[in-house]
Amino acid sequence: MPAVQETIDTVATLDVDKYKYGFSTDIESDMAPKGLSEEVIRFISAKKEEPEWMLEWRLAAYRRWLTMEEPDWARVEYPKIDFNDIYYYAAPKNFEDGPKSLDEVDPELLKTYEKLGIPLKEQEILAGVRKHDEPSQLDEDPSDNVYSSGRVAVDAVFDSVSVVTTFKEELAKAGVIFCSISEAIREHPELVQKYLASVVPVSDNYYATLNSAVFTDGSFVYVPEGVRCPMELSTYFRINAENTGQFERTLIIAEKGSYVSYLEGCTAPQRDENQLHAAVVELVAMEDAEIKYSTVQNWYPGDETGKGGVYNFVTKRGDCRGDNSKIMWTQVETGSAITWKYPSCILRGDNSQGEFYSIAVSNGAQQVDSGTKMLHLGKNTKSRIISKGISAGRSQNTYRGRVFAHKKATDARNFTQCDSLLIGDKCGAHTVPYIEARNSTAQFEHEATTSKISDDQLFYCMQRGIPEEEAIALIVNGFVKEVIQELPMEFAVEAQKLIGISLEGSVG
Amino acid sequence: MNIQTNQQKTEAEEQLGVSLPTRRVESFHYTDLRSLLRSAPARLKEADTAGDNYKRLVDAVRLPFFDGRFFADLVDELPKGVTVSSDAVKAGGDTADDVLVAINAAGEGDAVSVRIEGDSTLEKPLGLAHVANSPVASACYHSVTVTSGSEAHVIDRYVSDAGIGHLSSSVTELSLEKGAKVHWFIIQQENSDATRLARMNVNLEEDTELNIFVLNAGGRLVRQEIMVSVNGENANLAIKGVNLVGDGAHIDVTTSLEHNVPHTNAEELFRNVVAGDGQGVFQGQIKVAQPAQKTDAQMACNSLLLTDDSNFSAKPELEIFADDVICAHGATVTDIDDDQLFYLRARGIPEKIARTLLIKAFVGEVVEELEAGDALEDAFAGIIDSWLDENI
Repeated sequence: MPAVQETIDTVATLDVDKYKYGFSTDIESDMAPKGLSEEVIRFISAKKEEPEWMLEWRLAAYRRWLTMEEPDWARVEYPKIDFNDIYYYAAPKNFEDGPKSLDEVDPELLKTYEKLGIPLKEQEILAGVRKHDEPSQLDEDPSDNVYSSGRVAVDAVFDSVSVVTTFKEELAKAGVIFCSISEAIREHPELVQKYLASVVPVSDNYYATLNSAVFTDGSFVYVPEGVRCPMELSTYFRINAENTGQFERTLIIAEKGSYVSYLEGCTAPQRDENQLHAAVVELVAMEDAEIKYSTVQNWYPGDETGKGGVYNFVTKRGDCRGDNSKIMWTQVETGSAITWKYPSCILRGDNSQGEFYSIAVSNGAQQVDSGTKMLHLGKNTKSRIISKGISAGRSQNTYRGRVFAHKKATDARNFTQCDSLLIGDKCGAHTVPYIEARNSTAQFEHEATTSKISDDQLFYCMQRGIPEEEAIALIVNGFVKEVIQELPMEFAVEAQKLIGISLEGSVG
Repeated sequence: MNIQTNQQKTEAEEQLGVSLPTRRVESFHYTDLRSLLRSAPARLKEADTAGDNYKRLVDAVRLPFFDGRFFADLVDELPKGVTVSSDAVKAGGDTADDVLVAINAAGEGDAVSVRIEGDSTLEKPLGLAHVANSPVASACYHSVTVTSGSEAHVIDRYVSDAGIGHLSSSVTELSLEKGAKVHWFIIQQENSDATRLARMNVNLEEDTELNIFVLNAGGRLVRQEIMVSVNGENANLAIKGVNLVGDGAHIDVTTSLEHNVPHTNAEELFRNVVAGDGQGVFQGQIKVAQPAQKTDAQMACNSLLLTDDSNFSAKPELEIFADDVICAHGATVTDIDDDQLFYLRARGIPEKIARTLLIKAFVGEVVEELEAGDALEDAFAGIIDSWLDENI
């Protein structure tokens, strides 16, 4: 697309006004004192009414964290984070006791949901307009509408606490536990103790250790043996209060033969100060179980220099613990000033499968360093990686991935494809794969390409009367299609819109 | 060297006078030099010119190096336009990434400069013939300049007899001035106790054409680095290689291409065969700077693992700051295809021969495409055949 200097300029002038989630909601917060110390951790633990073992666990992680160094190997640059200049706990005051029903939900918060773009049908349910099994008035023809069931259970996390979880009762009937992690620590300590940090060890990395010390909320999902979770589960994360770090912890356990699909969405208000987000997500899939985890990440990316954007340091890892288990990560990353995120799969069980589908869009001064790790430990394990990076503006977009086959992982199979698209000549696209085969029966394929939108493709479309902007949009959509089609329908629509917004001016 | 370390110096570090990087240094991620090279042989004193290893691979003009020392009086008659002198000065290296340069600078060995000028087109290849006869650590240095319009074939060969645990370090600075065309062959046939630490730095000017071929068919611990800086428009570069990693060997080829100007092409192709409990490593970096629009860079690395004890690690990297480029890399690791093997065996070919045939075809493809002339291609095929005879 070289002739279109105009397009490049438009992208360059693109500014964060386009970030429609940049509002902040004026809700009084209850905060822990600023900074990080054992006292703050005790405070968080007390607020959460946690048992003694949990507090000890946190303190041990904190002491460990003090001895660790911040990693610097990723291709991201940012001023040193002052970990003592952050609030580690902020809770909307009105909900300190936890909402009993949706009627108690602050209207401000419901407005927030609206702005968050929680699908209309869910809002109906959240707002109590209809019950989930009633047909929605929004449906014109319910028979062919994928939303007609409206069956998505939502856990909304606002700063440090989970404010509401829907559909709990119905899920409980199926035996599925879906609640905030704080509640799980209180109500299901045996499960939490058994699985917490069993995939991402406390001392795994700097940010995971920090998270272990100060995590405030997140979701907990337990799907018992043989249960196919009757609806999609979903969490919306929202940083609201100023100078607040969000440290959520999500733990999903799928017992033998079960299935669950989980969606995660994130947004944050526009601020002058950079906001810190360091999450840990752990997935455990037992024999024959399948977990599908989808993320649409749209944290505030900051202004044109990245100022005020969210620093997103996330450790996500799935453990295919049982034979024939399957974990699938799908992510659409459009937000954050800095993304440091490598959703991984440990393919421990024989015949287990890991998949990773990613779209990373960067614009302005965004820096993305993301990818995956596929560790083949069991026999006959398979993994598939499809990563699509689009960089525009002055952004840097890096794919960093590792595929490893252990000596005993006979017949391990991997296919990796990383494609990068560059829009404009001020951005960068990088690919750093690590391919490690330790036995001869492993079969690894890796391919990566970097290019701009080809003149031929553009010419082909334009010659058929499609205006340039639309043609580019069409080509970009085609470029990411392989990943979009792996997203649950609710998210696919949102994701496509987000990519549109992120690249507005260059993809129309 | 500014590698921070509180650890006690290893024997090798004492001997070489340089701190060695561990796998924590990113560029040595797969070749933990500190633990792979615990001890080093004594420093070179007297070179030994004995033995019958100083043989021509093909008819060539040879510059002899025995144990890292240059023997000017044994040089074959130089063609017109070629000057050789021993006045080159070794360069130092001060970062962990440049540790091979630092080892070279600190080691004993001669520094020789070669200049090919005046629109010369050399009829015979020029042979940098390195023979190691003593169990010592040697470090030779070459600075080769090919001036505007000249053309040359250079055979940069390293040979040693079995049982000599030597360490040979080499640094080569190659500069191609405008319009120069060079075929450079790095042929490594050292014994299975040898350590070879080699760096080649290349500078390409406008309209140049450089074809590098690397053949590793020996050595215990080998690290071959090739760093190319493309600084002239319309430069064409090809780096091809065959790495034959035997039992007990660790062979690492690390390349880095920096495209700094528009309109340049690069092609990289490596085929690796790993036998026994060998370890193969390929790291390839393609960097495209912001001004280097219209760069076309392709890289491929294919590996065959012959046994369950063998392993291979690859890190093909792209680092792209310009948008109007076509860059791609591909990497595969696999074993010999059962169907292909079956096809041959169904035709009465014994398994061992069938496997050898398939391996030959796999690496032979690289040699055939070299356009190096029949004599050289036959010689390379011969080296590959004899390695296969010994190792399969």
